[in-house]
Amino acid sequence: MDFKKISKYMLTTGAALLLAACGGGESGAENQDGETASGGSFDTSQTINVITREDGSGTRGAFTEITGVLVEDGETESDNTYAGATIQNSTNGVMTTVSGDPTSIGYISLGSLNDTVKALNIGGIEPSTETVQDGSYEIARPFNIAYKDELSEVAQDFWTFVMSAEGQELVVGEGYVEAVTDAPAYEAAEGLSGNVSVVGSTSVTPVMEVLAEEYSNLNPDVTIDITSNGSSAGMTAAMDGSADIGMASRELKEEELAELTSEPLAIDGIVVIVHPDNTVEDLTMEQVRQIYTGEVTTWADVAE
Amino acid sequence: MEETQSKFMQKSSKRKIEQFGRTISFICIAFIVLIVLSILYFVISKGVSTFTTDGVSVIDFLFGDIWRPGEVGENGEPLVGALPMILGSFFVTLLSALLATPFSIAAAIYMVEISPKAGKKILQPVIELLVGIPSVVYGFIGLTVVVPFIRSIFGGTGFGILSATIVLFVMILPTVTSMAVDALKSVPRHYREASLAMGGTRWQTIYKVVLRAATPGLLTAVVFGMARAFGEALAVQMVIGNAAMVPTDLITPASTLTSILTMSMGNTVMGTLENNVLWSLATILLVMALFFNILTRWIGKKGAMK
Repeated sequence: MDFKKISKYMLTTGAALLLAACGGGESGAENQDGETASGGSFDTSQTINVITREDGSGTRGAFTEITGVLVEDGETESDNTYAGATIQNSTNGVMTTVSGDPTSIGYISLGSLNDTVKALNIGGIEPSTETVQDGSYEIARPFNIAYKDELSEVAQDFWTFVMSAEGQELVVGEGYVEAVTDAPAYEAAEGLSGNVSVVGSTSVTPVMEVLAEEYSNLNPDVTIDITSNGSSAGMTAAMDGSADIGMASRELKEEELAELTSEPLAIDGIVVIVHPDNTVEDLTMEQVRQIYTGEVTTWADVAE
Repeated sequence: MEETQSKFMQKSSKRKIEQFGRTISFICIAFIVLIVLSILYFVISKGVSTFTTDGVSVIDFLFGDIWRPGEVGENGEPLVGALPMILGSFFVTLLSALLATPFSIAAAIYMVEISPKAGKKILQPVIELLVGIPSVVYGFIGLTVVVPFIRSIFGGTGFGILSATIVLFVMILPTVTSMAVDALKSVPRHYREASLAMGGTRWQTIYKVVLRAATPGLLTAVVFGMARAFGEALAVQMVIGNAAMVPTDLITPASTLTSILTMSMGNTVMGTLENNVLWSLATILLVMALFFNILTRWIGKKGAMK
């Protein structure tokens, strides 16, 4: 083993690979010309960087279904999300990526929206709790919670609280639409103690944490453990009994409904988000579909 | 006479203790071997069920380039081509090793040959500190520093093999460096003295004598670094983009075996095809770990034969 030969080989290979990397990036670098660090002119000739969620995400499931990215052909379903899309496995992951990249587009829960990103209007309709409630904003889905067989006394009480007037008031306070309109008042049971494990959607988690905190104030001896790892994981956990309650940010699948009892705790919009510097304000549902299937690749194609 | 004979035949208390120690050691070793074999059996049996139970072709799995486990192709075969992840893992591993090797060897040379005092005082603690940083921290730094940096230079999303390579380069640097230091230290002192006595300069001694003698050890260090890079999950997943497509360049989103595993494992139900193919990916990782292990031993043997 000659060290000289090895080092020469390594240097040559390294140089070749780095040149290849630079070669691949030239067009992208050119695209950056019109961009300023903040608030400057936005160059619409730039390539759209598509950010999506992972397989098994309820938000992705609902989004692809509503926008037409998911195509149903008889028995089979085909998710036509652009193969080169960057995949993030949480709501925060999508927001962080979009807030750091002026050319990117993503989608998140309406309730998780903050000012680090900009929400786009869809077909001229602004995403808000009002437009979700009246049905004019089309990209909306329920937040479902589900359980298998029978809940323990403490888990049942927590479920009752979530569906009560007090619980639904918290849901509305967090920026979601209530799922139960004439909800009964919650009556705290005496001497409850124990653990309730809630597992699932990263989109449902923020509102569930608020509900759990308020419930713990009313029932100090009860601990609510929340695990945030995706809708499918939540439904799986509920089905195999490793969680008392599963959370899903989508409608339940047939095989899940066969085993679980579910109820919506809130209605939430899915917001299409871009970087605040992006000058695009409005997209049609068809344009969203085209972006997410890779048919449209630059911002110029969708800018007015 | 008989009394003396029986005394000799009796096991002494020291021997009994030794026997007890041996038994305990054997039980511990057997337990470790059992655990390793159990893991191997569990992962491989789950991984193989993709081909035995679900009827996926091994060729399609290893060389197919479409990864959509929930869907079937035109021929009715599940779309579970693992080639994008296999290539992604190899590219990231090889590139990070290529980057880390010269830096690590240079640092090791400095610490052992040029300035052992400064090496011990400054570089050693720094390397130990780097080893102790959790991978999620590396990933987070990658996400907030490396990805935007790559984006500003090359355009695109910033996610991709190049970002993952840079993060892994920093991660494997301390591993390779510390092993390279050991390799250089193991070179007998009289090699250096003989070289210097024959009129060799300090640099000639380092380059032509010490490095040559330490080559097997240095290669072992690089292979260990590659094994670490190949198996890294979280940091890579945070910066690579996780797009299951065959990498065409270094600055578009890609994926590795580990990144797909960490992304998908929680979202599948045990026993389904979607779950089984993930175990098949885990089997590939296991085989690769075994390969790196064998390679390390082979390099060691080659060095010993010299």
